[in-house]
Amino acid sequence: MTWSRIGWRNLGRNRKRTVLTALGLAVAFFAVVFIVGWSQGLMVEMVESATSLVNGQIEIHDAEYRPDRSMYDTIGGREGTDIDALFRVIDADPAVTAAAPRVYAGGLVSSGSATSAGMFMGIDPVRELTLSRFLDPLVRGRMPAPGRNELLVGEEMARQLSVALGDEVVVVASGADGSMANDLFTLVGIFRTGLVELDTTFAVMPLGDLQALVVLAPERIHEIAVATTDPWIADATAERLGAALPPTERAVEVVGWPTLNPAMVEYVALGDSMYFIIIIVVFSIAIFGVANTMVMATYERRREFAVMLALGATPGSVRAVVLYEAMALGVISLAIGATITLPLMVWFHNAPPDMSWAVADVTLMGALLSPSLRVEYDPQFWLVAALALFATALLASLLPAWRAARVPPADTLSAL
Amino acid sequence: MLGSESGSERTHRSWLFTLVVVASVASVLWMAAAGTASAQTDPRDILDRIDRLLRGDSSRGVATMQVVTEHWERQMTMEMWSLGTDYTLVRLRSPAKDAGTATLMAGDDIWNYLPKVDRSIKIPSSMMGGAWMGSHFTNDDLVQESQMRDVYDVEVTFEGERDGDQVWELRLTPKPEAAVVWGYIEFLVGQTDYVPRWAKYYDEDGALARTMEYSEVSEFGGRLVPAVMNMQPADKPGERTTIRYEELEFDIDVDQSFFSLRTLQSGR
Repeated sequence: MTWSRIGWRNLGRNRKRTVLTALGLAVAFFAVVFIVGWSQGLMVEMVESATSLVNGQIEIHDAEYRPDRSMYDTIGGREGTDIDALFRVIDADPAVTAAAPRVYAGGLVSSGSATSAGMFMGIDPVRELTLSRFLDPLVRGRMPAPGRNELLVGEEMARQLSVALGDEVVVVASGADGSMANDLFTLVGIFRTGLVELDTTFAVMPLGDLQALVVLAPERIHEIAVATTDPWIADATAERLGAALPPTERAVEVVGWPTLNPAMVEYVALGDSMYFIIIIVVFSIAIFGVANTMVMATYERRREFAVMLALGATPGSVRAVVLYEAMALGVISLAIGATITLPLMVWFHNAPPDMSWAVADVTLMGALLSPSLRVEYDPQFWLVAALALFATALLASLLPAWRAARVPPADTLSAL
Repeated sequence: MLGSESGSERTHRSWLFTLVVVASVASVLWMAAAGTASAQTDPRDILDRIDRLLRGDSSRGVATMQVVTEHWERQMTMEMWSLGTDYTLVRLRSPAKDAGTATLMAGDDIWNYLPKVDRSIKIPSSMMGGAWMGSHFTNDDLVQESQMRDVYDVEVTFEGERDGDQVWELRLTPKPEAAVVWGYIEFLVGQTDYVPRWAKYYDEDGALARTMEYSEVSEFGGRLVPAVMNMQPADKPGERTTIRYEELEFDIDVDQSFFSLRTLQSGR
């Protein structure tokens, strides 16, 4: 492979220029890998936040429950169902990491002269803590104990009602029997989700206490939220669970977050399509730098090419020399690029710099995003970026290679 | 209100409980008083008359309210006092579980007293569209206190005999600035007795939202009043709220100080 060796050696002719050109490609490689890694980090955080802060990755409801969320549409029908039997099936699924029952009811929370509209959420305190993150840690106080009329409210509702831990609040809701359910509850804790609508309206209490308040039988619940090992297997797991659950009087729907929050799925898909645009833009900029260098390098060596051609080299071999040179440049660039990129990726993946001193938390589509620069690994995309780097080097060399092969030997040499 | 079923469900039943408690009472009062105004056809005068007669008038009554929904049915007995259009106090006597629960309406505000916890809570403005005592009336219906001619433009759309009854059909269209959720209201009123027959509430898209029927015109305190009012939401055919007066007296000895939080919490 004489031609390839010549191409490789040519890179050493002007090392400074070679290094600068390689750096251009290496930085382009770093830029796309890092930007995309960061963007994917943001997407992953968004999905994880949206599916673990309060909601699960999968929700199980009565088939009629969404979107009206009527309190009468309990899982399994108007008489409820054997909740424990459902949990035995759900907990046994290998992909499920946590599952928790929930009861919801709308009403009012009042203290003194202040009254807020409230959404009451009845939870199993033990199971809930394994599933969602918003109650752990609490801003203040502790989890409510079942059977003692204790509740938690969001930070903003506590502020609007001017209540502190230990205060009694009046809770009013419409009972399932049409009665005006009302009772006194003691505020034992305050939570913060960072999502204003939840922090303003949600009040959390043990499931049994809420069922007693609104006159729902203990076997009547509205939702089972389920967490899985990976948000992206939610749909498949939901399908499996749906088939495995014991039959109930009324149909049950098991849906993954992609169905519950289609906007987020579209957002992630939009992000994916952006990555290729980023590659094209960044390497389009780089290609002109490389082309410029290659044009210069081949122009300088016109006489060499003339000699090669005069000595019997075919135009094809001359082209090959230039293209081999471009390939070699790609190899060097990739080596430099990987050397810059990999350590930074590892760093930003494991210990992302916290930007909260500069930027506040952001909420997006029901997800809370912390301002960190965490990056996600995506080896498949790295491969794509590496191929794009080689493609750029080769594309940039096509014109110089073609011109080098067409150098007229006699004319060029006679100008010596 | 006391009870919004999961939030949004009941928001579009807004406006007049006053037309329930009041308009019927009123129309009767007025009927008695207006017995001489034979061929009064200016509709604004008709509405005016209701308002004028209501103002400064007071009443006390006992009524049963039957609420039928898809999921439950219950009957409540309540005692009610009113003074003009601004003040109303309603206290439940039965069922035992809710006995003592009371609602005070003063001006635009509504308080509910809850005997179980011995607390009064003020209904936040965001919940005024919610159901009152689980019925098909909203809190907004209870506090409707403006003069009808201030809120609505009114025209007579039909005048003459219908089902053997000489009636006016009125169409009440909210004035542009009025804070009313209805697109318009159709009101059928008897020409001889001035008693309303029914009122139909249409939403802003012109679709029927609910129908109120008045029936069993009876004499209470020397006046003719429809003793039964039946409210039916159009979107839930099987559901209704029916109010039936058992007792009703007028011009009772009561003044503004009666309609206070203290009375509300006193249990009588």
